[in-house]
Amino acid sequence: MRDRLFLTAMLGPSLALLLLFYGYPILDNLRISFTDLSLLGLKRGGSWVGLDNYRELFQSGDFGDVLFNTVVWLTATSVAIRVLLGLAIAVLLNSSALKRLRLATISRFALLIPWATPPIVAVIIWRWLLDPHGDVNATLMRFGLVDQPIAFFADMRTVWPAVVTVMVWNTVPLIALSLLSSMQTVPEELYEAAELDGATRWQQFRHITLPFLMPNLLVLGLMSVFWSFNNFVYVWLATGAGPGTFTNVLATEVYLEAFVNFRVGYSSAIGLVMALVMGVFGIIYLRLVAQRQLEDTL
Amino acid sequence: MSAQHEIKSPWREPSPFSLVAAALLAFLTLLLLIYPAVVILIGSFRPGGGLISEGAGFTAENYIKIFRSGFGRFVVNSLVICIATTLVSTVLSIMAAYAFSRFNFRLKRPLFLSILFGQVFPWIVLINPLFVAFATVQLTNNYVGMILTYTAFTIPFSVYMLVGYLVTVPKSLDEAAIMDGASRWQVIWLIIWPIMLPGFVATATYTFLLCWTEYLFALAFLTQSDMKTLPLGLYQFFGDDTIDWGAVMAASVVTTLPVFVLFLPIQGQITSGRTAGALK
Repeated sequence: MRDRLFLTAMLGPSLALLLLFYGYPILDNLRISFTDLSLLGLKRGGSWVGLDNYRELFQSGDFGDVLFNTVVWLTATSVAIRVLLGLAIAVLLNSSALKRLRLATISRFALLIPWATPPIVAVIIWRWLLDPHGDVNATLMRFGLVDQPIAFFADMRTVWPAVVTVMVWNTVPLIALSLLSSMQTVPEELYEAAELDGATRWQQFRHITLPFLMPNLLVLGLMSVFWSFNNFVYVWLATGAGPGTFTNVLATEVYLEAFVNFRVGYSSAIGLVMALVMGVFGIIYLRLVAQRQLEDTL
Repeated sequence: MSAQHEIKSPWREPSPFSLVAAALLAFLTLLLLIYPAVVILIGSFRPGGGLISEGAGFTAENYIKIFRSGFGRFVVNSLVICIATTLVSTVLSIMAAYAFSRFNFRLKRPLFLSILFGQVFPWIVLINPLFVAFATVQLTNNYVGMILTYTAFTIPFSVYMLVGYLVTVPKSLDEAAIMDGASRWQVIWLIIWPIMLPGFVATATYTFLLCWTEYLFALAFLTQSDMKTLPLGLYQFFGDDTIDWGAVMAASVVTTLPVFVLFLPIQGQITSGRTAGALK
């Protein structure tokens, strides 16, 4: 009985706060999405419009573009590059050659710099570097690769690669360092045995290192998917969803509709679709990862 | 750290070719990782951020300018909100994590799973209803509103991280103390707290950093200029057609330096914390 009281006291405040800040908004978002609530008429409230917002959403051509940008560019491309590059850096840092050159430690330290840089500052850094007057253009011009400076964040041909560059620069260190620490748990004897059996470096990587990394790669990949799909700040600060709405993604669309176009009801409908997509990924995550973590820890 | 300097198997001596290749790749990687950040640091001490046309020479002008134009106010706002958030969030998370790691109760698994789920839920979806509610109860442009918000959104990760630490402390320790007549609170204060201090510090630091660099909630809930936090203040120097690069860079450095100082000691724990399940 005393334990029960103690338990309530310990868990109560956190759970109450989570209910208020997750539980209530999730339900209220559903309600708002069936209304035409406007940011300018919050006091008046919105009137019930049934499925109108959803109908409009699925009939608008723009929504397809937003979904495409979110899934293909913001998520798939950035996660794929991040994971592959992270793996490559981890292999490099773990290589006997780099250790021989005594560069492994300084490289590890270098990884901390982009990692510790706040996303907001990472965007600023790359907006400066990729500015028409910036270092990247200066270098390209010096080597005669371009005649005119490129406005990377304003040109439709370069804006997505530019945004993905910021994301990868900022987030590849976590992947690389985490994979590196997994690599260092692989028993050295396995490589020695493989070497004796005449396995090539590639075969050793493919059949020893990679299987060891798989569980960690899976978690990192999935977390990156969540984190990218939900991300607002990179696109918003790098391009403001522009040029025009060329780089608009779900998160910026939710914000734009509610806080720029004042259409809170419509925005909430988009939010709900977004939450549902994440829900599907969430179930995959729970099945593959969280369930096991839970059994391990509790 | 020291073990990795050694070459574990001398008979896998790298060939000269692989040494050169590794050196080149390492150089390229280092350049790409470090150069962008260094450019900003140096630019912050140059007139106009280092635009060639505006000449060279080192100056503190950019820093003086941002603090004259009220940047200090954003620093204070961020400090107040983030310190309060860190205290409240860490204390609540320690309590919840202790309950999860020490007790068995009916809803334990579903509750813990929903907390894990909170880590991956898109915050942007919660903005509209929260904004409507905040506007009604007048919590926008308000310290308390931001502190409550950040506390709620840092609890899931903190609880998850802390449970990971707490399960490494044997339950028998608590039980022995209780047999000797200690209360649960005494157990937490006298046994758990001292052992777990490094874990608590790491969690608290992480919470502070999340809060320090958070942009979305601040953007939605803080519209009055005198209530804005650092990340919002940083973007005030982006004008509609001109950007004051010198000011932007100086403000970026002011925002980033505390992050570096706090982040370096805990970075190892973050990598292992995030992927603890997979590394087992």
